[in-house]
Amino acid sequence: MPTKVLAFAGSPRRGGNSETLLDWVLAAMTKEPHVVVEKVALTDANINPCRGCNACEKLNKCVQRDGMDTYHDKIIEADVIVLSSPIFCMGLAAQVKALVDRAQVFRSRKYVLKLPIVPPERKGKRLGIFLATAGQNGDHVFAAAIPSVKCFYHVIDIRDADISYLMINNVDEKGAIERHPTATVDAENLGKDVIAELKKRLAL
Amino acid sequence: MAVTALGISGSPHRHGNTETLLDRFLEGAKVAGASVEKMVLKDLHYSPCRGCNACHKTGECIVNDDAIVLYENIMTSDCIAVASPIYTMGITAELKGFIDRQQYLWARKFILKTLYFSDNHIKRHKGIFISTAGLGWDNVFDGAFPVITALFNTTGFEYYDNVIANDMDRYGGIKNHPTALADAYGKGQKVVRVLEKLRAI
Repeated sequence: MPTKVLAFAGSPRRGGNSETLLDWVLAAMTKEPHVVVEKVALTDANINPCRGCNACEKLNKCVQRDGMDTYHDKIIEADVIVLSSPIFCMGLAAQVKALVDRAQVFRSRKYVLKLPIVPPERKGKRLGIFLATAGQNGDHVFAAAIPSVKCFYHVIDIRDADISYLMINNVDEKGAIERHPTATVDAENLGKDVIAELKKRLAL
Repeated sequence: MAVTALGISGSPHRHGNTETLLDRFLEGAKVAGASVEKMVLKDLHYSPCRGCNACHKTGECIVNDDAIVLYENIMTSDCIAVASPIYTMGITAELKGFIDRQQYLWARKFILKTLYFSDNHIKRHKGIFISTAGLGWDNVFDGAFPVITALFNTTGFEYYDNVIANDMDRYGGIKNHPTALADAYGKGQKVVRVLEKLRAI
């Protein structure tokens, strides 16, 4: 069975810096054998914000019918989940925050209803990657986004130690990341390393 | 003219813990003599920022919707109280969607240099963040503060105070919190008095 990678391109600007970084990671993954990559642009994904109704705490599903119906299942099926976001106003782009908040259904399943997210044999065999770019300089520009990202991965059964990060600051205008001294190589290595780690865990 | 206090409710959940706390803040402000208005983001029509950067050239957003009207309202208010529950360690997607739309003002300030706030202006414009969180963790608001700071900075408001209460799940709602509602009411009164005093200077 192929290794499944599900990647969310969170930027509303198609082909911008955070999506380019994502594409580099995905290209490196695709070079490995038996890897199937699906990229989803959140700007086209029709994912509404969470309504905060807490119905999922009882129903074990969301009351909203939208793009999340599809991605809910794909999130469970994937072996690697990659999330990319530009930093807007010191945080995740609103489109990414909507996806992250809609993971509330997984949080309810896991912590309120005490039901499994993935079958026991797949636990510890799922990996996450968070990619971000920011126009501003300084490492602190990513600080506010990270806690939300960690929550997202925890509720979908990807452990803290199994999340990799590649965050590039000081890239603002479209294409700026192309001129970054290490981003391309770092992204390629990350893609390759995560697939290698996954295959080790799956004993492939 | 009365001090104007604008409350912005970023919760998708009407009359929940956060909006109740905002309401108490605005009641305090009203009692102190402010002209008070509340806008509920879930009832407005706006889209998130597209990241097109067209505003970097023109200083205008190409999307003309309720977000622009609300920013105009913010820019003529003396006090803004921005309220959001904490979802997944941050503000709601609704409020984030609205805040990301401030990019055109950011462009005016930092790229086009057509918008400038003097220290005196900033001192006379107070921003308050109002929030509740289900979890009792001390760090549960940490992801929200920098985003709220970005909003206040761009719109020329001093980040004056927080009205925040965590551990809502344990308390069973804001009404059972020992101090939060009274705190909100008191801070609503206080900020209006402070702004009135600053006007007299």
